[in-house]
Amino acid sequence: MYAFFPGCVSRGGCPELYPSAVSVCQRFNIELVELTGASCTGAGVLQEKNQLLGDTLNARTFAMAEDMDLPIMTICSTCQGVMSQANKRLTSDPEYLSKVNTYLAEEGLEYRGTTTIKHLLWILVEDVGLSTVKSQIKRPLNGLRIAPFYGCYIVRPSDALDLQDNPERETSLETIITALGAEVVDFEGKARCCGFPLLTINEKNSVSMVAKHTSEVKDLGADAMVTPCPLCHLNLDGYQPAASQQSESDIDLPIIHLPQLLGLAMGEDPKELGLQKHIVSTKPLLDKINLAA
Amino acid sequence: MDTSLAIKRFDPEAENAKPYWQEFSLNLEQSATVLDALIMIREEIDGSLALRCSCRSAICGSCAMRVNGKAVLACKTRIENVSDNSRPISIEPAGIMPVIKDLVVDMDLFWNKVKEITPWLETEGVEPKEEYIASNESMVNLASVMNCIMCGACVSDCTVLEVDPAFIGPAALAKAYRFVGDPRDSKNKERLEVLDQYSGIWDCTRCMECVEVCPKDVAPMDRIMELREKAIQTGFNKTTGAKHAEAFTKIIEHSGSLDELKLPIKTFGILNMPLNMLPVGLRAAAKGKMPPVIHPSIPEVEKVKRIFDKFEEEEIENQEE
Amino acid sequence: MPEHDVLVIGGGLAGMRAGISAHKAGVDVAIISKVHPVRSHSNAAQGGINAALTIRGDDWTDHAFDTIKGSDYLADQNAVEVMCREAGGEIISLEHMGVIFNRDEEGRLGTRSFGGQRKARTFFVADITGQAILQVMYEQLLKSQVAVYEEWFVTSLIVDDGECNGIIALDIRNGQLHVIKAKAVILCGGGLGRVFEPSTNALIVTGDAMALAYQAGAPLMDMEMVQYHPTTLKGSGVLITEGARGEGAYLLNKNGDRFMEKYAPSMMELASRDVVSRSEQTEINEGMGIDGCVLLDCTHLDKKLITERLSQIHEIGIDFAGIDITKEPIPIKPGMHYIMGGIKTDIHGQTSVTGLYAAGECACVSVHGGNRLGANSLLDTIVFGKRSGESAAEHVLNKKLKTPHKKYLQQETERLKLLVNRQDSKDRVSAIRRDMGITMDEHLGVFRTTDGMNKGVSNLSKLQQRYTQVSIQDKGKIFNTDLIFALELGFMLESAETIVKSALHRKESRGAHYYLDHPNRDDTNWLKHVLITKTAEGPKLSTVPVVITDWQPEERKY
Repeated sequence: MYAFFPGCVSRGGCPELYPSAVSVCQRFNIELVELTGASCTGAGVLQEKNQLLGDTLNARTFAMAEDMDLPIMTICSTCQGVMSQANKRLTSDPEYLSKVNTYLAEEGLEYRGTTTIKHLLWILVEDVGLSTVKSQIKRPLNGLRIAPFYGCYIVRPSDALDLQDNPERETSLETIITALGAEVVDFEGKARCCGFPLLTINEKNSVSMVAKHTSEVKDLGADAMVTPCPLCHLNLDGYQPAASQQSESDIDLPIIHLPQLLGLAMGEDPKELGLQKHIVSTKPLLDKINLAA
Repeated sequence: MDTSLAIKRFDPEAENAKPYWQEFSLNLEQSATVLDALIMIREEIDGSLALRCSCRSAICGSCAMRVNGKAVLACKTRIENVSDNSRPISIEPAGIMPVIKDLVVDMDLFWNKVKEITPWLETEGVEPKEEYIASNESMVNLASVMNCIMCGACVSDCTVLEVDPAFIGPAALAKAYRFVGDPRDSKNKERLEVLDQYSGIWDCTRCMECVEVCPKDVAPMDRIMELREKAIQTGFNKTTGAKHAEAFTKIIEHSGSLDELKLPIKTFGILNMPLNMLPVGLRAAAKGKMPPVIHPSIPEVEKVKRIFDKFEEEEIENQEE
Repeated sequence: MPEHDVLVIGGGLAGMRAGISAHKAGVDVAIISKVHPVRSHSNAAQGGINAALTIRGDDWTDHAFDTIKGSDYLADQNAVEVMCREAGGEIISLEHMGVIFNRDEEGRLGTRSFGGQRKARTFFVADITGQAILQVMYEQLLKSQVAVYEEWFVTSLIVDDGECNGIIALDIRNGQLHVIKAKAVILCGGGLGRVFEPSTNALIVTGDAMALAYQAGAPLMDMEMVQYHPTTLKGSGVLITEGARGEGAYLLNKNGDRFMEKYAPSMMELASRDVVSRSEQTEINEGMGIDGCVLLDCTHLDKKLITERLSQIHEIGIDFAGIDITKEPIPIKPGMHYIMGGIKTDIHGQTSVTGLYAAGECACVSVHGGNRLGANSLLDTIVFGKRSGESAAEHVLNKKLKTPHKKYLQQETERLKLLVNRQDSKDRVSAIRRDMGITMDEHLGVFRTTDGMNKGVSNLSKLQQRYTQVSIQDKGKIFNTDLIFALELGFMLESAETIVKSALHRKESRGAHYYLDHPNRDDTNWLKHVLITKTAEGPKLSTVPVVITDWQPEERKY
């Protein structure tokens, strides 16, 4: 059982993510209690203006989960990363934690530093276990070539994400892809940046990053790219047409969310998974699995 | 301990000079570093292997290179920590900078960027007879940037430099913080004004590669964020980046979660929306991806607002002091 | 042909300081360095820089006495006076340049205790003082826009009729040899640590400047005075700063005893370096060590202090020895670290060759005599770097540039060509270097004997023979480090010979030169510097008296 933190984008700009995540969790009997009163993590942007404020908002969320005695589950790399970094700062300096708690006192909340935060990706590999994942496969993805794209916030910085103690997290996407029967398309940029944070500030560079990673993967013959971060998805999918234009080449690489990949392997209906809502058509991918509506 | 290394070599004097991989098998001590291995190759197998190295103790910054795709200092990287029995350890020159030979890169690009930020202290007025008074706290605060040994690891792996060589880069920006954060420097405003412009502090994509690879805990990205905070505080709040951060914060204050429609509107102002956002928005709408026009606030959003209020009250108090 | 008024060889602290000061004096100056300036070995100095701030009631004559006593009375007292008198002003000057020195509660420059000094007058930046000052000096260099020939290797000095007119250097990036004309040359090329194996020194510290001056006919002085730093890591020889002991760390033998009680009951761990190194070596030789080491214990120190003031050595312990110094003691041993000797200069940095100056570790004024106090080296580079810059600038005022005869470049080109084209020998430059290092460590170590040193002489002679035959693998022009190492080895072998010959000549024990066959200090016969000069007939040894001003030699006890 987990305190579910869906994040803002999974019901905003990527509305296909929330229902597919919930559906996948049901399949694995992952019980979810949604943290409806929790605020946005700040996404690193709010932290630019005031890091203490960001840490306070996140401490509030952690305290809420702590009171429920549940670990937090995220479905967004950015939520995962921002929360992990905040948690590290809060739990490594008792004076800092006390200071933050003074802002939470009015609401009757106090964070004691025991909350853990885990992305669905890690939960599947570490808590649910691969054999359980495999047991739910109804439509093995054999013959599919899928490239992993992590999203910066779930791979850096390594100490906040406990990667030294859990090195398998660094290849967790590949692990899931393989477990579902598909072939991993490894590429240099899999842990690099999608460019999303730069979108409003330097669109050219942001789009260049999209072009670089999607073209590289396309050239390697991948059928799709899977990502555990909806912000990455917004850029890699939403700005792929702009990337094609900027790089003067047709890319047409479907970008899918992690729960959608799982849902496909579990035998779910692509429409339920929201695969028709993508900017870059997922039809070629679904054709390959003989699923195109 | 038996190890195999694959080194990306380049001989500029060869006919049709092209980079190529060369494998080496070595028997090393348990505590050996990548540098120990490279020196062994150079001394006992192939004297033409070119690399820069000097202090062997992570203080001179000469030996930055990519090991298994990630920038490190060779002298500080233990072989046993980067070994994987399934394949040789890959060793390549640092990224971004052009390769002169083997593992030696041309660092002019790196140094030119540092030179761009006026990298010396600019004090004002007559120098005192004795030292400038400065708190130990302020000096310790600069310790992280002073730790920078100019090795180039951060530049090597910067994801923005990978697509845009005009970006001033993490090393130069961390160095800029060394001055902006120094109470004796009198040119804070002028420095921030320059850093606030194109290819400066707002062009960092916050990917944390530089924080991850820095061998001296300089955490350049954190320094860039501090520069952004200082820039906004100093009144440089007209850049898109500053307005974006401001808008985001206000939206969370108002609704507790992100209103994706409002964000670009508040960032740019409704009359200044970039035209190319229109086709993106239309495509999204066509696919049913448009966020709701009326964005629902989270339950008990007033509790969140109370926290913001407390911070605002404190800010006003601090300004009055 | 490039030309400058003043050419500085070496881009470390002394070199950059000299360059900036010559520039300020209004002459055209350039720095030539085989590595980028910030890669210079100055960056490895950790603990701090000494100065008596008279404004704060400290007395520079106190610092001078500590230095002279520390030198075992071999330092020239007029030179020590200059350095200690000017120190205070130089520290303030460094602070004004922007060095982020540690501060006390009032925001003023803070100090820590250091070896051999009765008062805390060591100014510091955590335990990265050398690096912190070097970075700031580089900032100032950029500001002054002094030109730097980066990654150029000086192969020889051009000296005609006893006057230095320039240099010949190899542009490492393209393998071209160039003559650079200059009215004055300042040698700031640092020490020669790599002559010994192991050493705390970086791989680039190969005695180039000393050998260049020696080959040009300038005498080297006190070359037998080699400092073994008390706390270096086993194996790699990486340095652990004296600052640790300055902050209160203990030295323990295998029984957990603070053995310095026996050897220096007053100053204990903060006695002068030669005394501490000999004490450690004695303990080790008598079986009181552990695996050839003794222990440095920082476990009782405040953790916050370690994080703030000793963070680099904390990292070094973890990265290079797998030990967290806050939790357990770290094994250390004496390791070759510094050479007090060097190119003989006067207090203005002038050598015996007209137009040739020297400053920093490669020079011997002498301010360090038989043993250097910790944190005096950084001071030396700043004070005498500045002074050499100024005096070189003055020297060139009415001087004309001379164009060297083209034979010099021709000869040098030939020499290098021969070396590169030599047929494949089974021997390697690295093997000769290692054998040299081991011989020097064994026979010119903390304790020396006539027998041992004679073996050293004969071994070095064999190594020099091997050197004339050794070949290199890389025959290319671009970034040929194989060639550079071979040239450096030539310099090292030359310097090594001067060390062992000087050591055999000084028939007494003084400072770091502990001669078991002559175990006592002999002021009657040996209150002198040993000079070694290269002549056509071979090295010539002579002596020159120590300059005494106010302090008569006394028995040296800590």
